[in-house]
Amino acid sequence: MPLTPASSAIKKKSPGFGLGLRPVHYPDFLGEPQAVDWLEIISENYMVPGGKPLAMLDAILERYPVAMHGVSLSIGSTDGLDAQYLADLKALANHARPLWISDHLCWTGVQGRNAHDLLPLPYSEEALRLVVRHVNQVQDTLGRRILLENVSSYLNYRCSEMSEWEFLRQVAEQADCLLLLDVNNIYVSGINHGFDPIEFLDHLPVERVQQIHLAGHSDHGNYIVDTHDHPVAAPVWALYRYTCAHFGEVATMIERDDNIPELSVLIAELDRARAIAAETLGSGVQEVREAVL
Amino acid sequence: MKSPELTDLQVAFHDHLLNLPSTLSQEVSEGGRISVDHRLHIYHNAYRARLLENLQDAYEKTWAYLGDETFESSALAFIEDNPPRHRNLRWHGAAFPQWLENRFPQDLDIAELARIDWQLRQAFDGPNATPVSSAELARLSAGDWASVGFQLVPTLFIAPLRFNSVSIWHAIDQELTPPVAEPLPALTWLLIWRKGWQPHFRTIQTAEHAALVQLQDGASFAQVCAALGEQFSDREAASVAAEGLRTWLQDGLIVGLTGAPA
Repeated sequence: MPLTPASSAIKKKSPGFGLGLRPVHYPDFLGEPQAVDWLEIISENYMVPGGKPLAMLDAILERYPVAMHGVSLSIGSTDGLDAQYLADLKALANHARPLWISDHLCWTGVQGRNAHDLLPLPYSEEALRLVVRHVNQVQDTLGRRILLENVSSYLNYRCSEMSEWEFLRQVAEQADCLLLLDVNNIYVSGINHGFDPIEFLDHLPVERVQQIHLAGHSDHGNYIVDTHDHPVAAPVWALYRYTCAHFGEVATMIERDDNIPELSVLIAELDRARAIAAETLGSGVQEVREAVL
Repeated sequence: MKSPELTDLQVAFHDHLLNLPSTLSQEVSEGGRISVDHRLHIYHNAYRARLLENLQDAYEKTWAYLGDETFESSALAFIEDNPPRHRNLRWHGAAFPQWLENRFPQDLDIAELARIDWQLRQAFDGPNATPVSSAELARLSAGDWASVGFQLVPTLFIAPLRFNSVSIWHAIDQELTPPVAEPLPALTWLLIWRKGWQPHFRTIQTAEHAALVQLQDGASFAQVCAALGEQFSDREAASVAAEGLRTWLQDGLIVGLTGAPA
């Protein structure tokens, strides 16, 4: 299959700085305008028959651009794709007309069983071929490129044949899809596996990075767990600074899944991301690399 | 050592999560600051933690009723017995009330409370429907009334109640000490549905239960009234039917008219 030539037209212009939409913040977003450029919804929360979730979504869609982010696509499962899930995802996309649709580069279950966890793939040629085939099927069904996100992981397989960043790059280029970089996940996995996050970032295709996630984690000393229940940690902010210098303007959002604070707290965190991005744009990558390292 | 096929690797991983015999540890690289066993344990633990949290969320009142320790041990045992099979996590707890019935056969109030939790959740994001207004009914002619039937709200759930679990639910909701569980003296049914965006529930007695079941089965309102006439005097039957209709309209239970000309 011919590869799509690298081009800035592959991805959309950044809509700015966003937040993950959580039900506890519905009244804030539906009240007065908030200093948030766009929102990301968890797709599965709205793949329901009716009721308040869909009514709230409709009200949000009138006010904010929305991106869809799923957790159950299981793009790397050898079970293959779930046709019903894909049909439901497409129906939601037709309704919400999102900026884009993303999920994770992982698998969530096999043999019809579901772990409801973002489980790591081996970085092997076999897994690469499977994921590329599945991404092609999903993109054909949805009629658009999807974004795949790097997950936090806690183990490596002996059968891996390449680095995680090489695997991500190969998936993106061979399947002609986009990437959602979770900078926290890169940091978490870097600590857990002992790799250099800068090397990870340096090897990704700049033209395919459509979105960035920032989130918090729990530090257990010897290892880190990606809990998404804390503010963004200092080393992740430093890595974000480098990410901005390396990738330029990329849609960025804070993703908080637990211990969700008042919206103003998250907007203050988002403002920090805005400030870092503004300071970094125009400065040289080398200069930022030296400051970060 | 030959690398396993991807399917075999994923099966070994999932078997590890489910406490089944697994060769996963042989497939994981050593090195780094934590051991292979520790790495496997992180996933093993996360699997249960996520499913437990989901059950705590779906069965909030049951959790409060059983207390942290009993709920957690029950939920973890349920998770071992019921590995999720659906893509959407929200469906994982569907069998929990039935499972609680088997686990606590002497305390069936627990399963009954869990069923209320679950059905309220189903009503919350169940299908939408627009209630029929009393003005729409007022436009029906006398002839229409001979044949009109009522389509009931799609989130409607009706089930027999054997215990005072509704009182228990309300006490927990108000953060009061729940009453001692006891059987109800008379045949009672639980009605759960959504009105607007809010799930509702109330208990109903034999006559209203029979009327709603007949309507669900496609009977006309006239047939429902005739059936009431067999249990009550004509005057009482008319009063029961009128009161029922008034309540159903107020509750938003009627969402369509059947059998009458448009």
